Amino acid sequence: MSVLEVSNLECCYHTDNGAVKAIDGISFGLEAGEIIGVIGESGSGKTTLALSIMRLLDGRASISGTISYNGTNIAHLPEPEMNRFRWKDIAIVFQNSLDVLNPVMTVGNQVIEPLLKHENISVREAEARCADLFRTVGLDPIWMDAYPHQLSGGMRQRVLLAMALSCNPKLLILDEVTSALDAYTRKEIRDLLIGLQKKNGYGMVVVSHDLSFVSSLASRMIVLYAGRVVESGPTTDIINAPRHPYTRGLIHSTPDIFIYRDLWGIPGGEASGGDGYAGCPFGRRCTQSIDICRTSPPLLQPCGDDREVACHRGGIATLLRADDIHFRYTLPAGRVLHAVDGVDVEVREGEVLAIVGQTASGKSTLAHILAGILRPESGTVRFMDREVYGANYGHRFGGIQIVFQDPFSSTSNRFTVLDAVREPLDINGIGTAAERLDMAREALRQVRLPTIDEFLGRYCGALSGGQRQRVALARAMVMKPKLLIADETTSALDVSTAANVLRTLKGIQNRKGFAMIYISHDLSLTLKIADRIAVMDAGRIVETGNAHEVMLHPRDDRTKRLIDARISHCCHDHGDGVPTLTGMGEP
Amino acid sequence: MNERDRRAIIFRFVITLLVIVAINFLLPRMMPGDPFSTMASDIQGEDVIVMTEAQREYYFHYYGLDLPLHEQFFSYLANLARGDLGRSIHYRMPVNEVILLHLPWTLLIVLSATAISTVAGVILGVVSARNRSKGSDRLMMTGLIAFAEIPSFLLGIILLLIFCVHLQIFPLAGAVTPFAHYTGVLDQVRDIAYHAFLPVLTLSFAQLTGVYLLTRNTLITVSTKDYIRTAHAKGLGDRIVWTRHALRNALLPVVTRTGFVIGMLMGGAVLVESVFNYPGIGLLLRNAVVARDYPLIQGILLVVAISVLLCNLMADRIYLKLDPRVAG
Amino acid sequence: MVPHLQDVIARLRDVISKFSLEGKIGLCGIALIVMVAVFAPFLSAYPPGKITGGSLESPGADHPLGTDELGMDIWSQICYGARMSLFIGLAVACIAGLGGGALGILAGYLGGAADQLVMRTVDVIMALPAFPLLIVISAFMGPNIFNVIFVLVLFSWAKPARIARSQTLTIKNNAYITAARNYGATPFYLLRRHILPEVFPILFVLIIGITSYAIMAETGLAFLGLGDPTAKSWGMMLHYATSFRSIYFTPYWQWWLLPPLAALIVLLLCLAFVGRDLEQVLDPRIRQNRGV
Repeated sequence: MSVLEVSNLECCYHTDNGAVKAIDGISFGLEAGEIIGVIGESGSGKTTLALSIMRLLDGRASISGTISYNGTNIAHLPEPEMNRFRWKDIAIVFQNSLDVLNPVMTVGNQVIEPLLKHENISVREAEARCADLFRTVGLDPIWMDAYPHQLSGGMRQRVLLAMALSCNPKLLILDEVTSALDAYTRKEIRDLLIGLQKKNGYGMVVVSHDLSFVSSLASRMIVLYAGRVVESGPTTDIINAPRHPYTRGLIHSTPDIFIYRDLWGIPGGEASGGDGYAGCPFGRRCTQSIDICRTSPPLLQPCGDDREVACHRGGIATLLRADDIHFRYTLPAGRVLHAVDGVDVEVREGEVLAIVGQTASGKSTLAHILAGILRPESGTVRFMDREVYGANYGHRFGGIQIVFQDPFSSTSNRFTVLDAVREPLDINGIGTAAERLDMAREALRQVRLPTIDEFLGRYCGALSGGQRQRVALARAMVMKPKLLIADETTSALDVSTAANVLRTLKGIQNRKGFAMIYISHDLSLTLKIADRIAVMDAGRIVETGNAHEVMLHPRDDRTKRLIDARISHCCHDHGDGVPTLTGMGEP
Repeated sequence: MNERDRRAIIFRFVITLLVIVAINFLLPRMMPGDPFSTMASDIQGEDVIVMTEAQREYYFHYYGLDLPLHEQFFSYLANLARGDLGRSIHYRMPVNEVILLHLPWTLLIVLSATAISTVAGVILGVVSARNRSKGSDRLMMTGLIAFAEIPSFLLGIILLLIFCVHLQIFPLAGAVTPFAHYTGVLDQVRDIAYHAFLPVLTLSFAQLTGVYLLTRNTLITVSTKDYIRTAHAKGLGDRIVWTRHALRNALLPVVTRTGFVIGMLMGGAVLVESVFNYPGIGLLLRNAVVARDYPLIQGILLVVAISVLLCNLMADRIYLKLDPRVAG
Repeated sequence: MVPHLQDVIARLRDVISKFSLEGKIGLCGIALIVMVAVFAPFLSAYPPGKITGGSLESPGADHPLGTDELGMDIWSQICYGARMSLFIGLAVACIAGLGGGALGILAGYLGGAADQLVMRTVDVIMALPAFPLLIVISAFMGPNIFNVIFVLVLFSWAKPARIARSQTLTIKNNAYITAARNYGATPFYLLRRHILPEVFPILFVLIIGITSYAIMAETGLAFLGLGDPTAKSWGMMLHYATSFRSIYFTPYWQWWLLPPLAALIVLLLCLAFVGRDLEQVLDPRIRQNRGV
């Protein structure tokens, strides 16, 4: 039987301005000895969840649903009965705020207090046990006579932990126990918790916004957003391949998981609600929302491998799928070049897939096929479940756009900037002249180019390489694509220009949420922006996976060769004879 | 915080004391006329003294009123150091003795009123805090706050009119029944209590609201603190949470304020004693002022000021001791 | 100036509309008493100091509240006494409030030695036992209305000074003051545009509090016999009434002692209600603690 079973928990705060729903239907279970992590940001309802399990919410809150501890429903137990469960069976370790401990009692007395209340032992015994507890959490028992204000933050957190363990509970709830701590103390607390858990087998619910901390402890995680569970499953699976767009955004925002990738936040602001909005709470910030997302909230559904996700589209949806693509060039001498030799590609919504390979590995050909420009000999490319070739996805909004490598041939010398950017609208007769002007301006703004008339009237031939590439990018953006294929877009630019363009590109991608296939020969560069990497060699995809996985733990020899081809000075030693930069650390 | 604050508190005490001594000394000497020329005596039940010219000159010399100012001041300070507060012109006794005759009555009513107002204020405050925002709380708050705005001595007059004049339950004046024959200690205590009842009640009302509001508001603030939630989480039960955790913290400021309460009541005793004709040093001061009895006035003022300052000092020190956050 | 006046009136109306029931009642009460004070000559038949009837007459047609021991009409004493009590209260409050406030602002703004001097003085004054000293000082200075006012101001200016100073310090530490200084703002500009508008509302509330205190203190002093016999406030009336030896043994207290007593209590309660409501309106944070 599971130690804790929460079913359809709802919690409402009754304020002067009406009722606020903090938790809107959360369900999860915890087995004995298991550690489950609850991840959420402020307003997600995670603290309310922690407090409701202990029934510590004040009178203004009302809960419905069941909270089952070892089979007993404690959700509506009267106080005296609840007190029998408190501390002996379920204990909570609070975040160490200023006032979490009584300032006029010594910390020793505060730890002894529950011992005397719940267990039938003498004061001397209680003191001895308290001293033991202190030692267990790494505190000298001498501190038992100290007052809370005399201890540091880390020490107070340990006291709180000792206090929670005092009556040997079966279930331990940890509410943001590392928020106010420095990195080293955080690690110590974590090691302590793991050690204690191994020895005594507590069931733990770890509530935090700190993804790194939770993922280092918990074997399973549930992700909360606006009072609902949006995703749940084994920790490693979720981190490697998040299914919900919010989870993906959270992982992107945590700097110490994928340390080579830049930090990107989640666009948009607070959760929706309050103004009659009845759709998915993440809907307003979601980059892959469809109509139903605005009208009804999704339910948490299983999606395989012991995972669940709450999304009308089943999680991050597949945008483009290419199966078994073949393409051959016939060379003059009668030889046949198998440019693309049985390639499968999958691109999901909002994702950046990097296709990396050497020259003539077939990357560009593949790009053109995926864009619908070239027709594959065999195999299918489906974009949103429709065959790409012939569907003219480049002609309309929300389709596929492609940006090419050579800036000087991406745009015509004789076209003005405005003409160039406006071209797709002109060709397809979209909007009035004024509307086209506005859309062109908007696109230029996104790529951080000036929108004044003087610039709009300048000829592309008079622009630099970087500027022309941005114009090409603006031209693609004006069609509001759902998938952008960037074919070696920065390879021909100066280093500093390339860096700027790349950042602009990734910035738009994060904000607008379109998927991107980034084709490059530079592995290090792609690591900065890609979620997944596909390594291509001689027409074949030899390895695919999470970008950091591929980069740091390559399986295929060709991938390894590509990685080892790095020759620059670097901040850390690759063990390949390449000199490291001295002076990067203290001798 | 600690050492500096302790020293600052004592420093302020000393300076204030010096100021009072200086005022005490200078004032009478700045007044037009002298104690012997004003013979209009409004003192109830006391005799009026008439002096001859020769007697006036004698007393002038005796009290050193013909010496230059700074010499008077030094002799005054010297006398103070010896504990000699001079001789009352009006009562023709050493000031010490006059004050000692009257001081105990004031102490009686002030200390009783402090105790009553503190206990009642705390109880009402706790009840109010536990029923926060309900009808009883709002009623109590409005009522008690309205009460506090009426000056205590006016309240005293009202009580006097109702209970002494109209209903004739309590006596109109005095600390004890004149020429009374007591059948034992208990009887004497009863008589004293009977006379002291209304003055004590009036003084209690003066401070009741202050204690009540402080208790209520501190308790409400404390009950929102995190450690109260921690205590609940430990399954300790309502009673222990309220007494050991909430009250222990909330009563800190109330306890320290008690020192100030005593000080304030000693200052306000003058009026209340005048209303009820209660023979404490408040009434004594009034009589002394009317009779322009310098030494007595100075003596009373010094005694009252020192008591008030001592109480305030004690209150500050107690606070420093009780709160471990500042004691360390 | 005129649009400024309209502004003030509009603001006043807005503030008053936010008053609670008790506050509005208090406002009416004060207005009533002010009316009585201003129109005293029209409301009473006789001047207060004139002997116009027999001693201790009961209320009748001639004298609505009867006469006192000397034969002076009590109702006129009440009407004219309103003037005295209000005058003393307001005079003390304005001088102590504005004067003390100005000193406090200066101390907070200038800092340094001036600040220390003012603050130490304030500390000492607030540590002194006020009432006994009041008694002694006014006894020695003589029964004169201006002496009474002077003495009361002496003890009342400390609190506004301290509060004005702490407000000034808080404002001074804001970044927008530094920014304004950077743009070349003079101290006068800062005082006029930033400091005064913030400090004044608080001072205003304090002034009402000081008015209450001054009226109470003057009443207390008069009750003890230290008031100005020529400026017959309600406190002096109480004094004469309670000094009359047989006051408690005769029914005369009903119309000699009760009216000034009732009038004082009404005035003080009204001032208290208005003061509290004003404080609440001007500082929204207090609204949360007030019993809710």
